[in-house]
Amino acid sequence: MLSITGMSVCYDGLPAVDRVSLDVGDGEIVALVGESGCGKTSLARALLGLLPGSAEVTGSAMLGDDDLARRTDWAGVRGRKIAIVPQGAMTGLSPVHKVGAQIEEMLTLHGGRARPGELLDRVGLGAEHLTCHPHELSGGQRQRVAIALALAGEPSLLVADEPTTGLDAIVQRQVLALLASLGIGMLIVSHDLAALAPHADRVAVMYAGRLAEDRPKGAPPRHPYTLGLLTATPATDRSIPWGSVPGSAPPLGQARPGCRFAPRCPLALDPCHDVDPPLVDGLACHHPGAPVYPVVPRSTPSAGTAAATLTGIRHTYRRRGVQALKGVDLEVRSGEIVGLVGESGSGKSTLARIALGLIKPTAGRVVVDGEELTGRTGKALRLLQRRIGFVHQDPYDSLHPGMRVGALVAEPLVVAGTPGDREEKVLAALEAAGLPCEREFLRRFPGQLSGGQRQRVSIARALAGEPVLLIADEATSMLDVSTRAGIATTLRSLASGRGLAVVFVTHDLGEAVQACDRIVVLRSGEIVEHGPAADLAAAPAHPYTQELLK
Amino acid sequence: MRRILEYGAVVVIALLLNFLLPRALPGGPMKLFGSPEALSRLTEAERAQIAQQYGFGRPLPEQFADYLTGVFTLDLGTSLSDGRPVAEAIGEALPWTLLLVGTSIVITCVLGVALGVLGALRRRRGGGAGLLGTAIVLDSLPAFWLGMLLIVVFGVQLNVLPTYGAGTLAHLVLPVTTLVVTGLGYFFLYTRSSMLTVLTSEPVQHAHARGVPYGRLVRRHALRPALLPVHTIVLMEIGFLAGGSIVIETVFAYPGLGRLTFGAISARDYPLMQGAFLVLTLMVVAMNAIADATYPLLDPRARQ
Amino acid sequence: MRALGRQGRTGLALLAVITAAAVYGLLLPDSAGTARIGEPYAPPGPGLPLGADDLGRSLLDQLLVGAATSLGLGFLVALVVTALAAVIGGAAAIGPRWLSSLIMRSIDVMLILPELILFILAAAFLGQSFGIRVAILVVLMWPVPARVLRAGMLTAWSRGHLEVARAMGAPRWWLLLRHGSYLIGPLLIPVFVRAAMRAILYDATLSFLGLGDPTAPSWGTTLYWVQVNGVFLSEAWVWWALPPGLAITLSVLALALIGTAVEERLNPALKEVPA
Repeated sequence: MLSITGMSVCYDGLPAVDRVSLDVGDGEIVALVGESGCGKTSLARALLGLLPGSAEVTGSAMLGDDDLARRTDWAGVRGRKIAIVPQGAMTGLSPVHKVGAQIEEMLTLHGGRARPGELLDRVGLGAEHLTCHPHELSGGQRQRVAIALALAGEPSLLVADEPTTGLDAIVQRQVLALLASLGIGMLIVSHDLAALAPHADRVAVMYAGRLAEDRPKGAPPRHPYTLGLLTATPATDRSIPWGSVPGSAPPLGQARPGCRFAPRCPLALDPCHDVDPPLVDGLACHHPGAPVYPVVPRSTPSAGTAAATLTGIRHTYRRRGVQALKGVDLEVRSGEIVGLVGESGSGKSTLARIALGLIKPTAGRVVVDGEELTGRTGKALRLLQRRIGFVHQDPYDSLHPGMRVGALVAEPLVVAGTPGDREEKVLAALEAAGLPCEREFLRRFPGQLSGGQRQRVSIARALAGEPVLLIADEATSMLDVSTRAGIATTLRSLASGRGLAVVFVTHDLGEAVQACDRIVVLRSGEIVEHGPAADLAAAPAHPYTQELLK
Repeated sequence: MRRILEYGAVVVIALLLNFLLPRALPGGPMKLFGSPEALSRLTEAERAQIAQQYGFGRPLPEQFADYLTGVFTLDLGTSLSDGRPVAEAIGEALPWTLLLVGTSIVITCVLGVALGVLGALRRRRGGGAGLLGTAIVLDSLPAFWLGMLLIVVFGVQLNVLPTYGAGTLAHLVLPVTTLVVTGLGYFFLYTRSSMLTVLTSEPVQHAHARGVPYGRLVRRHALRPALLPVHTIVLMEIGFLAGGSIVIETVFAYPGLGRLTFGAISARDYPLMQGAFLVLTLMVVAMNAIADATYPLLDPRARQ
Repeated sequence: MRALGRQGRTGLALLAVITAAAVYGLLLPDSAGTARIGEPYAPPGPGLPLGADDLGRSLLDQLLVGAATSLGLGFLVALVVTALAAVIGGAAAIGPRWLSSLIMRSIDVMLILPELILFILAAAFLGQSFGIRVAILVVLMWPVPARVLRAGMLTAWSRGHLEVARAMGAPRWWLLLRHGSYLIGPLLIPVFVRAAMRAILYDATLSFLGLGDPTAPSWGTTLYWVQVNGVFLSEAWVWWALPPGLAITLSVLALALIGTAVEERLNPALKEVPA
């Protein structure tokens, strides 16, 4: 039905998508998987003519008799023959129109025959939602409305661009199941290979603008990158190791000749660096095989002394009247990693900020390194805060863009007025965080670093003040899948090597199972379950944990 | 509810300012009761008697209560220049000002929104850049000077429009044009920037991706959200135009509140000044309240 | 400089010329523009490049001294307003809740009150000296910039690197100087420029109504005499009414061009619009 042949997308002459050929059959669900910057979104948007003016599309994409590439007149095609559920669809509904009116508009524009209520029913919503404005619906419900809007014109092909991003794990699964049950041809673009694999009839993997692999459901993955992506997805089973692919994908226009993946591939031989492998039999690789990727080490937890103790923590955001925490106890000992797991609104970030002394809890005590943090203010509070390291969620926002790496990592030392040779301490912290221990590196700005490197600079900064406790708030969530386990490995080495106590906050129970010694599951401000990671993964007691583990 | 309280506070502040400012006058509130020349001829004893009579020696709250009673019974004192009651002079002038300011606000809003949207849509083309440049220049023109230039060109040189007074539609043309032209620039700039922000917002981009044609995209999806922030600007514009009316009425000898104020300032006629300022301020507050009440029509999120 | 684009550079050049005129005006003797040095209503001629007014005072001198008054007042008001707005906006953003809501409610109330009308009212009753005009303008003009800067401060306060610095126990001065200034600094330029623009326009309006400082020449006062004498009915308006009006327009325009150029750079939404 859809046949893409030799399609390239260039921005100012630099190829983001490079000679990709891909078919989507009638009623077939094709998953297009890859990490950020691999070109998957450019490819999807090119199919609907949604690229910015600086993009140039070559090649062809035949949908029936229509060529979608380089088309300028989209009337009667966009929305009617091919429709899209855009990235971030739940924030993309018109805020001033009712759901019913938005669906009516699509039906009128694209000549759909269904009634609005039927469309809502098809996406699992009741007709009572027709009179709602989008701000009255939950994220999952809005995502369903966006899907209904795309279905209104009865398109033969649906493009879903990251349809689950921003949703909680359980809702994500429901939305994917809904998409799979619609029974129309679909191209789902996502970074989450493991979640899509069960629903897709075919999986296509992209790397640096090229198609690495295109295999039907059930066939074993063969490309080293695909295998890397799979091992990089944390399983909720501790017997399956969690690995990472070292290095990072080349920035736009900086790919070397030969196989794009060769610089990061453990199996690469000389020809891999010189000759671009063609896609033969659904595989573009000179040396398929099972590469060995570094995995997060397991450790036998050595219970040290308590680094931080939180007792009876309650917190209410008075402005919104939301009770974020309803009496939570938590203890972290030196040398162990405690996973704090919860979906959005569970209170996990609030708890982390209370432990950091950033938020004053409504009730409860926080003791860090034997001294009480709650109740302290001013200089006394700041002195104690210096014994806690903080790794922020967003590596693109947590580093001052105008400071060099050296100044960034030295900031805690300057703030604390630590005497002595700061550069030596900075270099030691960089090394402990897995970064090059070079003077040249100290002079770089954050803008010159990859996401993974930025997050390691953030870790190095947290280490420079020689803390007893490290709080990593969703430290991996904004990184590429293939590099997440690397961060977890670094945290593990800090815990076992330096006896650092680590709180690992995450929404992904799999990550916690893989990276932590103990796990605390939070839901709506309460702990529903806690225990050693191995036990909790093997035999979850609470139904909510069981649901998360599915 | 919060807005109602705020408007209450605004009215109280306006009254307080009007009450307190004359009492901070160099020479004291005495000036409210006679021309400078007349006052200078008074003896100490006579001054004391007036102060006694009008209760200047009494505590301020009592005086304020008296003042409030005066305001609510429309007794704003007597003009020093012609001995008429201030309320009567204001009553005659107010309709003219309402006509001038009301007409200008409506025209400015409609024209400003239309041109602002056009400026945003034609941003890349020559016309759009021209509009932007013109708007910035217009926004910089002092209203009274523009009024003078219009008089020179249309009144004196071309002799096609009346340059002073009021009564016919032709009399309105030059003052309204002056107010609209000087108020339009900021309105245009704001609408344009708001429209550009909305055009790049997710809801509009996504509607585009769903195959909504461009014209419909602009009319149905971009316009209303873009007008939400513009609504706040209308409030500021009302105050701006009302302030502008003081000078414009002066330039065009238009018989409204503004000219009344100017005359009062020139003659140091403090009771008239005080009354005119109070009414002007209350007029702006009332227009703001009306404009504010229309906001939920635009934004469903403000309706609960 | 280059970053401001052609518009912004035009504005800077204009401002430089007017500032030079203002500095020259400051250096003139005290009697400039107020002393009778020619025939009343004298047309432009030797010694009087722009002619004289109804009292035989040099119109060019009035223009130059007026430049100093206008720019001086504009910049002084803008400086104080910006500083005040930064403090009040900052307090509203990161101060205790009661203070924050108190400030926000007062801003809402102040926004409903008409600035220009209150300025004229206050000046009429409190006096018209330079200091009093500056004080009144500051009191009237802080709310809008304070609201802008509060929003900026709130955004800045939620930024990752600032939160990390707070968590590492950095004192407030460090947060403000190392992190806050970087985030808030660029916002101050348009706030300053807009305040200066409005102050210059309002002050000219006040003088035009005859409420200017009677002892000091200013652009608005010159135009007040134009109005009183009905000058635009004669040909004298070309050298009497045109130059001061142009001076006001160009000063405000220069600031507006700079302000718009900076704002365009700060607003990422102005970059990519669907066609």
